[in-house]
Amino acid sequence: MVTKTEETQLNRLENQVDNGGGGAWDYLCLVRKLKVRRSEKVLKHGLSILNDHKQRSSLGADEWTLYEQVAVAAMDCHCLDVAKDCTKVLRKRFPDSKRVGRLEAMLFEAKGSWELAEKAYASLLEDNPLDQAIHKRRVAMAKAQGNISVAIDWLNKYLETFMADHDAWRELAEIYVSLQMYKQAAFCYEELILSQPTVPLYHLAYADVLYTLGGLENLQTAKKYYASTIDLTGGKNTRALFGICLCTSAITQITKGKSKEEKEGLQLQSLAAKVLEKDYKQRAPDKLPQLTTALKSLTLSS
Amino acid sequence: MGLAITVGVFGVLVLFHAAYSTIQYKGLLKITEDEFSGPPFNVVIELFVGLLLCFWAALTVPGKFQSIHPHSEENRIVSLPANLDFMIFNHRGKVSPVELDVKLR
Repeated sequence: MVTKTEETQLNRLENQVDNGGGGAWDYLCLVRKLKVRRSEKVLKHGLSILNDHKQRSSLGADEWTLYEQVAVAAMDCHCLDVAKDCTKVLRKRFPDSKRVGRLEAMLFEAKGSWELAEKAYASLLEDNPLDQAIHKRRVAMAKAQGNISVAIDWLNKYLETFMADHDAWRELAEIYVSLQMYKQAAFCYEELILSQPTVPLYHLAYADVLYTLGGLENLQTAKKYYASTIDLTGGKNTRALFGICLCTSAITQITKGKSKEEKEGLQLQSLAAKVLEKDYKQRAPDKLPQLTTALKSLTLSS
Repeated sequence: MGLAITVGVFGVLVLFHAAYSTIQYKGLLKITEDEFSGPPFNVVIELFVGLLLCFWAALTVPGKFQSIHPHSEENRIVSLPANLDFMIFNHRGKVSPVELDVKLR
């Protein structure tokens, strides 16, 4: 999870590194730790460290981690020569490593030779059938080829064995959302909320899915989850605030003032609107008129 | 920092002095053959002063307290990590390759 402090630290380091202020290794470590995708920058700064013999040898054993990181970044940027060179260096150092084997298979993937990659993964799985990373790569490969249904099948099979893997649950949820299979996506997000109840973004995504599904009951639940997102973020999440407003107006549209909790709901909406206005005034004053008209249309329609 | 450490050391010295005074007072009681019912009032005051000084120093020297609330400004989660395990390589970046003159030497 990337927290606010870590985000500011990352941005600061990125700025510093881009302007030639040093600290490239710290930046690369932070990128690895936070698992953010900054392939281009990793490639550039990682290579400058690797090409500098003095800097490279000062890393000690971390040098090989850097080779791996740069190799993956290079595949992402389609600098296949660099990726190949890095993998070769690693293979020379670790002649019978599975991890390097995975890297080589990923290189096949990046080249687009799916059959070779599939064969490589299959042989790696034969040695160790419980290698999670390789199972995940196979899912990703199916997705990359456009076989979304195959990817879903693989993922479901994988999740039967490794139920605690929340990254996989998230991936499955995102795939379902992309296919507009919201009921299935909602199930995945429920699973995610159960396993990590303090991550507000899962609550938010679940609420989004429920709101999209529609219907009075789903809308009411969505509103609750938007509210819990606000609770967990201290009211700093703009999307959740908008969600509250939208849910309330949708609910009042359905119930047409029949429901008895309506009053409470309207109070919540006006509170959320107030926070939104305050936030906009502070951060984007020129967009404030747009916000007020949008909010007014929401309350008028109810 | 330096001030806090000095205050802490001073607090510990005060505590030691309070202990020493108590022992001395007990020795005095043995000579006058009185019962020991508790340390004298000024020693109790000294104890409290020493305790307060030590407390203050112990809370200041190690550094700032960090928030444990999930919704505080520092701990607030702003984004999820990119799902790198499921990273795929045939994305639109393929069409516009990086114009970098990079090579592993």
